[in-house]
Amino acid sequence: MSAAHEGSGTPGHHGPVRAPQGIAGGILLIALAALALWLTKDLDQGTLNAMGPAMLPRWLAIGVGLSGLAMIAFAFIREGEPLERWSLRGPFFIILAILAFAVTIRPFGFGPLALPGLDLVVAGPLGIILGGYATPEARFRELLILSLGLTPFCMLLFGDLLNLPIPVFPQELAGLFPAGWSQKAIMRAISVVMVVAAVAIFLATRGARTTTIDVADHSGRI
Amino acid sequence: MGDFVSNLSLGFSVALSLQNIGLAFLGCLVGTLIGVLPGVGPIATIAMLLPITFGLDPVGALIMLAGIYYGAQYGGSTTAILVNIPGEATSVVTALDGHQMARQGRAGVALGIAAIGSFFAGTVATLVIAALGAPLTSLALIFGPTEYFSLMVMGLVFAVVLARGSILKAIAMILVGVLLSTVGLDLETGEERMTFGLPFLSDGIDFAVLAMGIFGIAEIMRNLDHTEHRDVVRQAIGRLLPNREDFRQSYLPVLRGTVIGAILGILPGNGAVLGPFASYTLEKKIAKDPRRFGRGAIEGVAGPESANNAGAQTSFIPLLTLGIPPNAVMALMVGAMTIHGIIPGPQVMTKNPSLFWGMIASMWIGNLMLLVINLPMVGMWVRLLKVPYRMLFPAILMFCCIGIYSINSLPTDVMFIALFGLVGYTLIKFGFEPAPMLLGFVLGKLMEENLRRALILSRGSLSTFIDHPVSAALLAVAAILLVIALLPSIRKGRDEVFTE
Repeated sequence: MSAAHEGSGTPGHHGPVRAPQGIAGGILLIALAALALWLTKDLDQGTLNAMGPAMLPRWLAIGVGLSGLAMIAFAFIREGEPLERWSLRGPFFIILAILAFAVTIRPFGFGPLALPGLDLVVAGPLGIILGGYATPEARFRELLILSLGLTPFCMLLFGDLLNLPIPVFPQELAGLFPAGWSQKAIMRAISVVMVVAAVAIFLATRGARTTTIDVADHSGRI
Repeated sequence: MGDFVSNLSLGFSVALSLQNIGLAFLGCLVGTLIGVLPGVGPIATIAMLLPITFGLDPVGALIMLAGIYYGAQYGGSTTAILVNIPGEATSVVTALDGHQMARQGRAGVALGIAAIGSFFAGTVATLVIAALGAPLTSLALIFGPTEYFSLMVMGLVFAVVLARGSILKAIAMILVGVLLSTVGLDLETGEERMTFGLPFLSDGIDFAVLAMGIFGIAEIMRNLDHTEHRDVVRQAIGRLLPNREDFRQSYLPVLRGTVIGAILGILPGNGAVLGPFASYTLEKKIAKDPRRFGRGAIEGVAGPESANNAGAQTSFIPLLTLGIPPNAVMALMVGAMTIHGIIPGPQVMTKNPSLFWGMIASMWIGNLMLLVINLPMVGMWVRLLKVPYRMLFPAILMFCCIGIYSINSLPTDVMFIALFGLVGYTLIKFGFEPAPMLLGFVLGKLMEENLRRALILSRGSLSTFIDHPVSAALLAVAAILLVIALLPSIRKGRDEVFTE
């Protein structure tokens, strides 16, 4: 979508379009209004005395559409902003990370596809590492250590201290621990393991910094 | 007067219990901790921390939330002074002179005067709320649906006038916000509206999800676009307490800022946002040497910071007395109150006086806490600000995901913050400001409800809004404001205020 707008925006400096951003914004508003009108088309508008469910949404959608038209009209009359450059990397990895977190935090079924619940102990590091790649400066080693340090912090803060209803670790994992252990004891033990792993990776890769970074990172060396 | 004292003492007896002091302290601390992170404003902070108050009793939860709010506000100012990255619109002004002071090695004094000015403003604002609470509440009781609807229209017009950038875009954003609020079951007929047949949309869009997506996630995406050059002050922080000369220069700006902020904060439609700008412009106008502004004038920190805090606090007034949230932060407070089974509005004060007055008293305690926490902990905030953004944003992302998941335990909520994040990013890229949309969303449901009732009472005649004198006056104010804002000469002045 953005590419199409940019295409129409670039020659605007020479053509009649004086505010490419206004055109793009106007199209967005009109599209939104059209969507709302289409979604409410089967609903009853009612009368002023007894307003139906569609009355307000429909008039609002018309208002939004008119604003969009006005913005497009102004884009031909008044000088305005050019379109900003879009980066795709940031939004892509951020959204990917959030979706990964959402489908792993608890069992998730989507059509024939069923994912087991992996809970915070997996969803946390997954989200952090995937999200971390949203910036070109990402370094795998840093993100790995961050994820192994931050996840136990969140587990202890939200799960242990605040008792929030967030699934922390899959029950299959509980089998690895002695039978008498309570949920909280297992949670704390897992946290300790993760922190120890984080520290171990930090110490083990400290000397080998130059080589690891050459592999993981191409843009900014230390 | 006797009422005033007895009410306040009731409030303090609630707020001064050991547990509530502890909660106020904790709220201020975590609020500052998150709020100080660059690019995280108060709205995202509160949305992120909302779930941690769920386990508390209503009074404690609201006290803690108010603490989080003040902490986030003050954290934003700290970031503005030390790093020149204002977390939100209201601390933009603080960054102008505050950061210059920091570069001259006077960061400590800037932070100190900001804290002291805020404390003074907070104290005055607390008294204003306590004094206005009762009369405004009785006013609210004579408001019918017609008046409520007109009041909200006026609030939205305020928001349009106060928004930055083009008025047309602001109007469009408000309309989109109200439109989004109509998604879900229709209250009267029970028919589904614009839900795509999805069951989790039938209750409507969750406000916390929308706010978190648009102010948390979209903000991360936007920050990633700019290659970062964060200029954390390298100079020493210096002494924290302003000296006699500093006080002499700043006591009048603090007083003026407090008055301006407190008055603007009461207005519906996010008047508080205007406070710091108005205060800065005023100080610059009446200064003997206006050229000092922008180069580290202490008045340029003292005035706007006081206005900011006074406004932040008096914006509780429309919420507590009329039940109308004047801005997005207050809308989150509505969400929090509803979770604890409190419906904000005039009846809170009469039915639940210990909650009402306890919260007001805790506002003052919260301000005191900020003074106590922030000044000694400045060193820690500086260290936190030096963490590079590539390490910070995955952490912010994680807090957002966990925070939103724990509100309803729904993975779909988490997915929706990604969607609204993308929507917010698109809007920012097309030059729309998302704040008015959020306000429209917040007021939308209430507006529709009151519009319907008003029209049923008047048997479908729209003239009811002009026949009721109070409603007619409110609408007239709204119309005049809109016309004034559209006049070319005023528009120029408005643009100047915002670009300064």
